Amino acid sequence: MTTDTTPRAEPEWGVQEVQPLTGRVAGFLRGIPSWILWFLVIVWTVPTLGLFINSFRSRDAQRGSGWWLFFQDAERYGTGLTLDNYRDVLGSEATGGVANGLLNSMAIAVVATIIPIAIAAFAAYAFAWIDFRGRDGLFIFTVALLAVPTQVSLIPLLQMYAGGAHITLPLIDKTLTIFPDLDLAGTIPAVWLTHTGFALPFAIFLLHNYISGLPSDLFESARIDGADHFTIFRKIVLPLSVPVLAAFTIFQFLWTWNDYLIALTMIGGNRQNLPATVVVASLAGEFGLREELLTAGAFVITVVPLIVFFALQRFFVRGITAGSVKG
Amino acid sequence: MDGLFDNRLVITIVGVVAALGISAIVFVGANRLFDLAPRKWSIFSALIGGGSALAFFGLLWGNRLINQPVTTTIVATIIGAAAGYALSLTSDPRLHLGIGALAGAVLGGLIGATLKTSTRPEFDPVALVVGVVVGLAIGFGIWAVRGRTASVTRVALFWGALGWVFGAFLVPDLGGGDQAWAVIAATIGGALFGAWVGTFPNPDANARREIALGSRKYIFLTPALAFIAMTLIIPLIRTGFLSLQSGPPVDLSFTGLTNYADIFTDPTILNLENWTNMFTSQLFWAGVVVLIIGIVVARISGQRTGEGFGINGGSLSALAFGVILLGFAFFAVMRGTISNNLWWIFAVTLFSTGAGLAVAVLADRSRGETIAKSFIFMPMAISFVGAGIIWRFMYIARPETKEQTGVLNSIWVQIGKWSASNTASIIIALILAVIVAGILYIGWTGRQARRSSVVAGAIVAALPLIWLIYRFLGPGIGGVEIVDGVAVASPIFFLTESPFNNFWMMVVFIWIQTGFAMVIFSAAIKGVPADLTEAAGIDGASESQVFWRITVPSIAPTIGVVTTTLIVTVLKVFDIPKVMTNGNFDTQVLANEMWQRAFTELDFGLGSALAFILFLGVLPVMWINIRRMQRQREAVR
Repeated sequence: MTTDTTPRAEPEWGVQEVQPLTGRVAGFLRGIPSWILWFLVIVWTVPTLGLFINSFRSRDAQRGSGWWLFFQDAERYGTGLTLDNYRDVLGSEATGGVANGLLNSMAIAVVATIIPIAIAAFAAYAFAWIDFRGRDGLFIFTVALLAVPTQVSLIPLLQMYAGGAHITLPLIDKTLTIFPDLDLAGTIPAVWLTHTGFALPFAIFLLHNYISGLPSDLFESARIDGADHFTIFRKIVLPLSVPVLAAFTIFQFLWTWNDYLIALTMIGGNRQNLPATVVVASLAGEFGLREELLTAGAFVITVVPLIVFFALQRFFVRGITAGSVKG
Repeated sequence: MDGLFDNRLVITIVGVVAALGISAIVFVGANRLFDLAPRKWSIFSALIGGGSALAFFGLLWGNRLINQPVTTTIVATIIGAAAGYALSLTSDPRLHLGIGALAGAVLGGLIGATLKTSTRPEFDPVALVVGVVVGLAIGFGIWAVRGRTASVTRVALFWGALGWVFGAFLVPDLGGGDQAWAVIAATIGGALFGAWVGTFPNPDANARREIALGSRKYIFLTPALAFIAMTLIIPLIRTGFLSLQSGPPVDLSFTGLTNYADIFTDPTILNLENWTNMFTSQLFWAGVVVLIIGIVVARISGQRTGEGFGINGGSLSALAFGVILLGFAFFAVMRGTISNNLWWIFAVTLFSTGAGLAVAVLADRSRGETIAKSFIFMPMAISFVGAGIIWRFMYIARPETKEQTGVLNSIWVQIGKWSASNTASIIIALILAVIVAGILYIGWTGRQARRSSVVAGAIVAALPLIWLIYRFLGPGIGGVEIVDGVAVASPIFFLTESPFNNFWMMVVFIWIQTGFAMVIFSAAIKGVPADLTEAAGIDGASESQVFWRITVPSIAPTIGVVTTTLIVTVLKVFDIPKVMTNGNFDTQVLANEMWQRAFTELDFGLGSALAFILFLGVLPVMWINIRRMQRQREAVR
């Protein structure tokens, strides 16, 4: 790299001529990165662990001492670890229906994951393997929309769900309906549609990266055999894309399950349709009233993503790293 | 509960089935349809004819313009299909024109006859003449510009028809006309359009294959692009438009840039008055000192390598630390939504990128790499709402007399107790002194081995510890105050004490996003060719040299990607402030301000303006991303 050709009278600091450290000091030094790493791991894990332990402690215990003293609970507060918080947060309607919220979350996340896949896979294939004029420009434009903040769409979309979309033609003052008033505001399908739109640029980007990397011989031999684009897509591309489809599925499922902003805006006051994140967040707004339930509530909305995460981490990581690493 | 469960289950299943079903019908159907073009032109033509009529009458139906919409639409679809089939049977141009005109006239008559009373147009001869003349003028203008290649009849029919419809239906008032005129006007308009369709001859075998092939890009792309247009592009334009209006949601009126003016003159959103206070803060001067140290170290090590300015572990950490201190000094005195947002971007981007890179590098050479990484990465799977609640329990501050139940305040108060007790503080100072001695010894061995990075690291590590010893023995440290000679706990109110409550919320975001940065850096580091680093090692470069001179330049593009992605994510931060403070205690951010103005106060104009400012904020990043993708594409070629 930096080969210094000028003659040197004396070895200089830190350039070359580096002698290895010796003995015990060197061994200790080599261990330092590991120590720091594991220290960070502990720091990163403690907050979640604390919440988890606290969620099994009674109100008195939570308010009286730190979670790391949980083994003293039985003697100090008369109650050991208990499932009461979970029972209360899931069972009673007083908490705003976290159980119902979990079902809504599931209904939102499952469908809002499937719709983008059903649409984006085709578009990704077209961008990768169908030649047409302006393809690169259109693709770059689509992917650039990834950065557009959700906020810019919220007001118009809510208006559209609540009253349809109408365009008033200038000059002649006639109004034309381009999206009917389906009375979607406050419903779960409104959340599906919104999530789909925002997921598509990323879905297309991710799937395109993978599909465009498939070997082109596959496509040529299929075309010689007379297969059209649709057949190639169905028989060759779809089966080969299972890993990337899985990556997107995990990513999108976690994203929609964890979403707060879109559900809060599109469902708003319609409590029976709110997903668990919004219900638990509103519990947090009443912090202090029954804050011991908040631990269980937070853990309930966290446990599904954590299970998905630890079980399918490989795919999740692939979804996040794909495309970012290429220079 | 049972009924509820059924309900949600049904919604989910219906959603899944509808998504997959519609997708299958649209894609399979459209592909099969265009497969027909080369093989069975007549059927293809009939389906297209019927489909077009169905779409047009469906639009009229959806706009509630026609009576008896069901029957009318079915009849129209059949007529359209029949016309399409008839057109495919003959290649005689005059017959073609006739069939087209006839079918168009019949469909037009159908519209005229079923048009609702409220939508029947008045007869306005002036509008008709002007409409047709203007239509023809535009048509032939385009025709002339395009090199006069298209057939004159075709241009005249199409633009004449457009002008006719415009003059007959769109310009005059609706609701005042009689049925006879509606039928006549619609029949003539329909006939003109039909005749225009009839001017197109049946394509030959090659052209049919072209249609079948060329249609695929539209079939594959249209649904996705339509969705993106509906949820992103059109709303974006509309938000820009709404941001120029004011008033209640049902009665908005155009008021120009007043919303933007309101935003930038609101002292809670933007307040530049206090920036001079920065010069009286300790943070600022500490930052200046550290920055100068960093520059001096860089200069010295730069002279040794002959590069003028040496970037290595020692100098860069001092420089970065100095910049962070200065940034914090600045943002701590600047209050207001916009400077809060900038602070978020500054702190989260720097810390997450830095910590992510550090963990990726540390993990790369440690045992148990996978497990360690997955624990650091785990917060990425947790929702912002969940993370906000998790950290609220970390930050809890109990009254002085009670036991602290939050981890951080508990540690802080404990440190305070040690510091207040003479025995404990001396013991701790001794322990720290031993550690400092150890570190300095390591530094000394490093000096003998001519490893400047070891020496620099030892000094950087020893300084804060020496400071700690001073605090323990001298002025004291931690969450205990001596009031009248009695030690009283004084916890930190992490979420309510401005301005640093902002930073404590950023910590939550950093906690989440470090995993993201780490995963990407980790993949990038593993992508650096091993022979490069090994060759450098054999040439005698130290590990830190390999890192700064080979690894970092190799992953520089990735650092760019991570930074820009983080900036975009942080700019629109919403959930964490919403859940943790709801913007109170001087912690407002743009996204939460936007939400409150738009959906709590129902000021759509101001909310749109705030949203649009967020969009303007990401524009530079979008531009960088577009340039990067263009470069990648060029590199592939």
